[in-house]
Amino acid sequence: MTALDLKLVRDLWRMRGQALAIALVLAAATATFVLSMGVHRSLTETRDAYYERNAFADVFAEMTRAPRAVLPQIAAIAGVKRVEGTIRQFATLDFPDRVEPVRALINSVDEHGRTRLNRIKLRQGRLPQAGAADEVVVDEVFAKANGLDIGDRVDALIYGRKQSLRIVGTGLAPNYIYAMAPGDLIPDDRRFGILWMGEKALEAATDRTEAINALSLTLERGAAQAEVIRKVDSLLDRYGGTGAYGREDQLSNTFLDNELMQLEALTRVIPPIFLLVSTFLVYIVLGRMIRTERTQIGLVKAFGYSDWAIGWHYLKFALAIAVLATILGSFAGTWMGQGMTRLYAQYYRFPFLYYEIAPSVFLGAAGLSIGAAALGALGGVREAVRLNPAVAMSPPPPPVYRTGLVERLGAWGGFTATGNMIARHIARWPWRSAVTVLGVALSMGLLFATMQFVDSSKVMLDSYFYRAQRQDLTVTFIEPRNEDVLFELSQLRGVLRAEPIRAVPVKIGRGNRTERSAIESAPAGATLTARIDADGREIELPPAGLMMSRQLADKLGARAGDRVLVEMLGGRRTTIYLPVAAVIDEFIGERVYASEATMDRIARDAAPAGSALLRIDSSQRRRILSELKAMPEVLGVTERSAAMGKFEDMIDENINTMLAFYISFASAIAVGVVYNSARILFSERVHELATLRVLGYYRSEVGVVLLGELAVLVLAAVPVGCVIGNWLARLMTAMFSSDLFRLPFAPSPASYGYSALVVLGAASLTALLVARRVLELDMVRVLKARE
Amino acid sequence: MNVANPADREPTAEPAFRAEGLRKVYQTGETEVHALRGVDLEIPAGEMLVLLGPSGSGKSTLLNLLGGLDRPTSGRLFYRDLELTGLDEKGMTRFRRSEIGFIFQFYNLMPSLTAEENVRLVTDIAAHPMDAVEALALVGLADRRDHYPAQLSGGEQQRVAVARAIAKQPGVLLCDEPTGALDSTTGIRVLETLATANRELGATVVVITHNVGIAAMADRVFHFLDGNIARTEVHEHPISPLEISW
Ligand SMILES: Nc1ncnc2c1ncn2[C@@H]1O[C@H](COP(=O)(O)OP(=O)(O)OP(=O)(O)O)[C@@H](O)[C@H]1O
Ligand SMILES: [Mg+2]
Repeated sequence: MTALDLKLVRDLWRMRGQALAIALVLAAATATFVLSMGVHRSLTETRDAYYERNAFADVFAEMTRAPRAVLPQIAAIAGVKRVEGTIRQFATLDFPDRVEPVRALINSVDEHGRTRLNRIKLRQGRLPQAGAADEVVVDEVFAKANGLDIGDRVDALIYGRKQSLRIVGTGLAPNYIYAMAPGDLIPDDRRFGILWMGEKALEAATDRTEAINALSLTLERGAAQAEVIRKVDSLLDRYGGTGAYGREDQLSNTFLDNELMQLEALTRVIPPIFLLVSTFLVYIVLGRMIRTERTQIGLVKAFGYSDWAIGWHYLKFALAIAVLATILGSFAGTWMGQGMTRLYAQYYRFPFLYYEIAPSVFLGAAGLSIGAAALGALGGVREAVRLNPAVAMSPPPPPVYRTGLVERLGAWGGFTATGNMIARHIARWPWRSAVTVLGVALSMGLLFATMQFVDSSKVMLDSYFYRAQRQDLTVTFIEPRNEDVLFELSQLRGVLRAEPIRAVPVKIGRGNRTERSAIESAPAGATLTARIDADGREIELPPAGLMMSRQLADKLGARAGDRVLVEMLGGRRTTIYLPVAAVIDEFIGERVYASEATMDRIARDAAPAGSALLRIDSSQRRRILSELKAMPEVLGVTERSAAMGKFEDMIDENINTMLAFYISFASAIAVGVVYNSARILFSERVHELATLRVLGYYRSEVGVVLLGELAVLVLAAVPVGCVIGNWLARLMTAMFSSDLFRLPFAPSPASYGYSALVVLGAASLTALLVARRVLELDMVRVLKARE
Repeated sequence: MNVANPADREPTAEPAFRAEGLRKVYQTGETEVHALRGVDLEIPAGEMLVLLGPSGSGKSTLLNLLGGLDRPTSGRLFYRDLELTGLDEKGMTRFRRSEIGFIFQFYNLMPSLTAEENVRLVTDIAAHPMDAVEALALVGLADRRDHYPAQLSGGEQQRVAVARAIAKQPGVLLCDEPTGALDSTTGIRVLETLATANRELGATVVVITHNVGIAAMADRVFHFLDGNIARTEVHEHPISPLEISW
């Protein structure tokens, strides 16, 4: 080892506290990068492999009923590679010991294993056999949630007929990675599951001999999806087709895409913050190091070392930190990624989850941290390279203090002499002070943005579950029904109020843009639903025209007053121009509302109600549920309280994990910044502090001079942190918003307080750690030497 | 002028400092350095004392013990009735704060504070300080009060250090080579201010120097040799700093 390298190793060891503090911040960057990028890649690859192996289709379509004979026609469309027809049928399952209704979506599957698209990945057992009409494969997650095993029997009500089903296998399929019952907001594995039944058996059970009600197809490479969809739609028109759609509108795939998008947003927002702070820290620490080592640098240069040898020496100091950070961060990120992947495995139904972080992710992380450290080192290294040996060996010019604004401030504010020392020192090193303020502020901002997420989700939940929905139960019908069922429901004992929900699937077009949606309507005077906008206001349905959510309006490029083309999917297939009467800012979904009168114009005859909302006497819940279960027209019942509980559980679980990560990450920044500032401060002022002790200042008073400066900077960081946090939170809510939901920016005052507290706490502890050195100040030794 | 009457502090019989068997051993790794080897001394209050001796003979070590900056390895040290060797850390600080003014070879001024503010550093915490500007006037620097150390010459900086030391009206002024970095003219100005403080404030002044000429202005001279006071010299008629042959 060369002498210079020996010095490097000793320097690193001597400054290990500071080096480690920087490495921790940089490691947080690496960790979040490895985590989000790694999980993103793993999830993408898992999905792609799953889609590929099990032939996830490209285009999907549903219709009332079509003969199988339509399939060859569709197969003949240019660009279609393969098409398969299936039957999809909702059914209710009866678990005798459970009062709440359980729903299932039954899919047909070829008994001879000829199904090629959306193939089941069998987990256990086998597929249903020809001739065994009661055999089913059950979705593995649902089976586990309900304790179902192969050989068990389940009673089901399919198409109005009771049937006993025998479980012969468990499996998963790529079109149900995310499975959620209609009307639900969140998957509930105990109350909703996917079943697969033999094609012939399901045909018989649903009176659809040689008929289908759903199809999916794959496209040839390079085929124009929109064109294919148009042709499929025109073929299915007469069979009650509700409009074919691509993967981007397929429920399971959409949710997965949404998740991936959020992960990507995370990669783009979080690591840059840490990288920025690390760059600053390397900048100030190396800058200070080179200033104190001026004489040594001059000496070594005088010995004949080249400028670049010196520059490289200091650059290596920064690189060593970056390498350490990469190692630490890679391990931490890999480990956290495992936890996160496990979390995903709970919400998404993957038969396998690759968790393998590609070497390129680690390389990318290493590149980023080395880049950030090198960038921070640039200023100092340049100074070292430029230093003229002759100049370097003479003592550095004393720091120049002049009478300026800060000095006048001290006189005006009646500062003590030590107060002036604090104020002027801050002003003397404005950049370093700014770095401290900014670093602490970023740490607080990051924490605040994370906490705002919790606030935001709660506001969204509150708006949706408490204010927009006031029913206790949502009853979904097997087929849309008219007023008769509603009357029947309202007559049940304990039902306080029953209101219909009518929804018509439509395509809405404006110019060359088209979006699929559903127009919802509620009767005049309805009290169980309300439309709550982002500001918490209740918005009335417009008497004429449509009211659409901001997200949909933006996609269509429509504004209030514009006219849009509404094309009813299925039913009468009315096509009609309607004005957009209002645009509403909502949190969830892309929705369209209309008054009953407008609805009647679209659907001509009164559109039947697909579901009903009930408000019930809670003491009658069990009885009402069991009566609903017995009604043949009822497909399922969603309980608001159960959905809410589920949702809150999910948010709590996710958010607690997330908060734990971010509290430690944010603290890493605060600790890294404050520790380095404090150490530099201390080393710069050790002479002054010792002098104060000689003059008769108590240790505590000297501590105040040291900590006072830090305290001023850290406190100054709080308002800056609020501003940064606000900005960051808005950025993150915008990046996390999707077609599925839009997060509001709704911070609670407690989040400001709490994020400030955590950061102040971390900063105080760190500062105290350094302040302990005041106890060890050696007055005699310090006074012997010239500063 | 707000100056204490020297007579209050000069009950001639009572010494300012009294030490018995002061020893100071520095332990550096394996080796022990005996900086003081059992010093017994009495320093009469209100006197001007000069410590002479070769380098490494223990002068600074003694001065630091007298000033409460450090503790002896053994022996006892009294300031008037106060036993310094019995004080804890806080007591030592309180002692320095109320009784001692230090002046060092390197001036140890705060670069971020003006001359006046450097003096205020002491007047902020002292019990009966004189006005900061008044202290600067005593050293002839009242008109430079708003200047930062970087804007002052070495001699001027040292005079600010003297002003800072005397501003609290200390009982004792301890000076470790106060003129070590100064030329003769400037050095003499500094010594004059020390003499003034001794005369007018009644402070006991202890000065370490390598300049034998300076010893002539002392009431008493301790000659150090190898951690001991080898010889004490008493001057009946100390000369004025102006007469010193540098
Ligand atoms: N902190 C220390 N650790 C170890 N040895 C020390 C320490 N301080 C002083 N010494 C030693 O104690 C002895 C006396 O030192 P001191 O500083 O008192 O000498 P001095 O008489 O003031 O010398 P000078 O005239 O050179 O200032 C010397 O040998 C010195 O090396
Ligand atoms: Mg000495």
